Amino acid sequence: MTFFADFCIPFIVGEIILFTAIAIKYIMWLKGLPKSDKKLILKGAFSPRFFTATWEVIRESLLHHRIFKVNPLLGYMHMSLAFGWFLLISVGWIETIAYLGLKMIPLHGHVFFKYFIPLNEITAHKPMFDFVMDFLLLFVLSGVTLAWIKRMRSRAMGMKKTTQHISFDRIALTALWFVFPVRLLCESVTSAIYGGGSFLTGGIGTLLAAGINTEILHAIYEPLWWLYSCALGIFFVAMPFSRYMHIFTEIPLIFLRHFHLRPEAKEKSYDNFEVEACSRCGICIDPCQLQMQLGINDVQSVYFLRDRRKNRLQQKIANNCLMCGRCEQICPVGINLNTLRLNSRTSMRNIPNESRYKYLKNLDRSSGEGRVGYFAGCMTLLTPNTLSAMQRIFDAAREDVWWADKNGGVCCGRPLKLSGESDSAQKMIDYNKSLFYKHNITILVTSCPICLRIFNEEYKLDGIEVLHHSEYILRLIEQGRLHVNYSTEHTFTYHDPCELGRGSGIYNEPRAVIEAIGTLLEPSHSRKNALCCGSSLANTAINDSQQLTIARNVAEDLDNTGAETIVTACPLCKKAIARGATHQVKDLSEIVAANIL
Amino acid sequence: MKHVIVIGGGVAGMQCAAELAMQDIKVTLLEKKSDTGGKVRGWHKLFPTFTPADEVLSGLRHKMALTQNITTKTGCEATTITPQKVTLSTGESINCDAVVVATGYTLFDAHIKEEYGYGIYDNVITSADLEEMFNKDDVRMKDGSTPRRIAILHCVGSRDEKVCQRHCSKVCCVTGVKQAIELKQMYPAADVFNFYMDIRMFGPGYEEMYREAQQKYNVHFVRGRISEVSPNIDNRLQIKAEDTLTGRPLKMGVDMLVLLIGMKSNDHNASLKADCGLQCQNSGFMQPKDSFLHNTESNIEGIFYAGAITAPKNVAEALNDGATAALRVKDWLNKQ
Repeated sequence: MTFFADFCIPFIVGEIILFTAIAIKYIMWLKGLPKSDKKLILKGAFSPRFFTATWEVIRESLLHHRIFKVNPLLGYMHMSLAFGWFLLISVGWIETIAYLGLKMIPLHGHVFFKYFIPLNEITAHKPMFDFVMDFLLLFVLSGVTLAWIKRMRSRAMGMKKTTQHISFDRIALTALWFVFPVRLLCESVTSAIYGGGSFLTGGIGTLLAAGINTEILHAIYEPLWWLYSCALGIFFVAMPFSRYMHIFTEIPLIFLRHFHLRPEAKEKSYDNFEVEACSRCGICIDPCQLQMQLGINDVQSVYFLRDRRKNRLQQKIANNCLMCGRCEQICPVGINLNTLRLNSRTSMRNIPNESRYKYLKNLDRSSGEGRVGYFAGCMTLLTPNTLSAMQRIFDAAREDVWWADKNGGVCCGRPLKLSGESDSAQKMIDYNKSLFYKHNITILVTSCPICLRIFNEEYKLDGIEVLHHSEYILRLIEQGRLHVNYSTEHTFTYHDPCELGRGSGIYNEPRAVIEAIGTLLEPSHSRKNALCCGSSLANTAINDSQQLTIARNVAEDLDNTGAETIVTACPLCKKAIARGATHQVKDLSEIVAANIL
Repeated sequence: MKHVIVIGGGVAGMQCAAELAMQDIKVTLLEKKSDTGGKVRGWHKLFPTFTPADEVLSGLRHKMALTQNITTKTGCEATTITPQKVTLSTGESINCDAVVVATGYTLFDAHIKEEYGYGIYDNVITSADLEEMFNKDDVRMKDGSTPRRIAILHCVGSRDEKVCQRHCSKVCCVTGVKQAIELKQMYPAADVFNFYMDIRMFGPGYEEMYREAQQKYNVHFVRGRISEVSPNIDNRLQIKAEDTLTGRPLKMGVDMLVLLIGMKSNDHNASLKADCGLQCQNSGFMQPKDSFLHNTESNIEGIFYAGAITAPKNVAEALNDGATAALRVKDWLNKQ
């Protein structure tokens, strides 16, 4: 048996280009990894993490478990295409073994098996395989149908907006749409001429044999196989250069992630795995408030990653993001979207100005003495009600406090980092860090989640416990050092600040504090699904009235709870929401200070 | 006899009512508060002549009393307005032949600019609070002592996108100069600083007053907004600003900070738009039919505007508006 026919050429060419391109990419990316990352891979490959990673590959790359959780219909679509196709390939492979025994058969021999071995050349027919293969083909076709519907009417699939694709993606997409319907036709015509097939290809084959002249069937037989091979060939060629590269990138990504590789403040080779693992499914578009409230349609993570991959990322796209983390939270591939965007910003504008930071030398404006340090942050200094509330809380708990910046201090560095000036941010970090150590504090409290985030992520404060004031206040209450008045008459609603909630994973502490004082009414968007106030420091592209539009929308959600007071735990959120709300907006510390017994 | 309802008993409404009454038109003047006089009632002296505000109000009251044609209803608020009928919040409705809306403006709530510490620190006050102190002849710090250094901050709630007030309130610059002079007259030894973005001396005598403040009274003017206020160690107010003329950040300890609060459009304007079909500007102030020939008329025939309902105005402009609106009303009634 020679497994070759002229029509296989497009397929073979496609497959060679595909595997070569992927091999080149993998080698380049892995070679470019820093030494420390390579060590992590070696360590991880021989650890139990290898098996947990394998399990995740099955769960995510084949079954698409996370998409299922977000949107079951979309999950089914992805699963039927990925898992269905995978099964078609593997059952097809078992089928060839069943008929021909274990021997070397080229890849196209498996793919075009029905052409090379039609029923009349088989001695012992195994109809079981026909049935399973038909069933699997139907499974994949159902996914293709859903993909068509999604393209034409995304709303029907539970998506308000779907991705706007570029030409390479469109070519690959079109080829992919053709692959399975053409395969169905090929196998049906084969069945019409030679018999075989099960309920699907066999059924259609019987109909074709009854309705169409045999000569015509013979005449279209070869061209159909050509078409099938071309569709596959085109798809393969387009694949490494289109979004479908994600199929092969997500698998190594999952392994690398299990081996503890992560994107960092500066771009590195590992980022390629994350960037190209994006399937451009567009799930990140709907939750984006810039899209929802302002109709900005070209900055979402899917477009950011696409532009970055194509090396044509512009500052106006990179900078136009609230970094609220709503997309990162929902991304089915789990890409570190914010970190990638930040290191892109850093690559684009990290030019530290040395002379700007001379004033840091020998500067110490702190006051007071104590093991507990309090860092208000610039935004808390602009909302002095929070500062005086913290003072009252410290007094009530008889805490000796070292005030880091009550008389003005140095910025935590996060705003600079968010705008891409990470080297300048490092100067702030080094300054503040040495200040904290100089004053021998053991606990550092801040009422600003923006500061909190960078203290936790970048400061590496060994020996100093970093607490957000919500955590600290709750601790005081639990330890019996602070007594607050509880009344059912007080009703509150709570806005989760992005940097505190999704950013630092603190959801329960502020709620526990509120519930110690009164009744908490949850808004319709809360916890992981909370909205951004719109005034995020991370976005330097939108203007004030656009920020206000977002703030009004968030405030409406909070006002609708009917609570008498809107509580938040971030000075920036407080200022932003107060602009749009009809109810009073207070920081968590203010409602605590007002209810101290 | 024709009947016109004037809503709002501030200076514009009073002037308009008096002018209409003298033309033998029956007028009902509606006032939300317990007495007429509007915002001017809380003012001590008026720029640029330092005329006592009371003088202007008593002049207007005298003029209103010249005829018997005016009925003043205090303590009542208008809810819906048509040229033929005004409904009050009590549910009562009054029929009429035309309506003049002269409901003025709202003072910006300084609490919103939390960074200035109004309501948080003792000696942060607003320009309106200072006028009240002038009226009581009692300008002192909370602890009763005499202020030795006073800062006056311009543009609080004006020209400030962050609090959704983009417009210039027009009268605060000159009020700042006026109050600085009054403070210096009261406490010649005190240092008085004005922190401003621009000094807009648009009216007759204003520029001269500004010059006098510098030359005669030695009032200091610093170009730059104050960014934040905090208490310092000896319990004074520490202000942070940038002197934008020298390009240097500056810190200063002061005893008292006066916030020149701007004019904000009334919240009620939104319901005039929604319920009565009247047009609003983006700033929230009402939109006159046009800015030149029909600037006291609304988009609805028979409804007129007078005073700061359409834009920030000083007292003289509001008084002119009141008289002009009365003329336009009379013209319109004659045509009916």
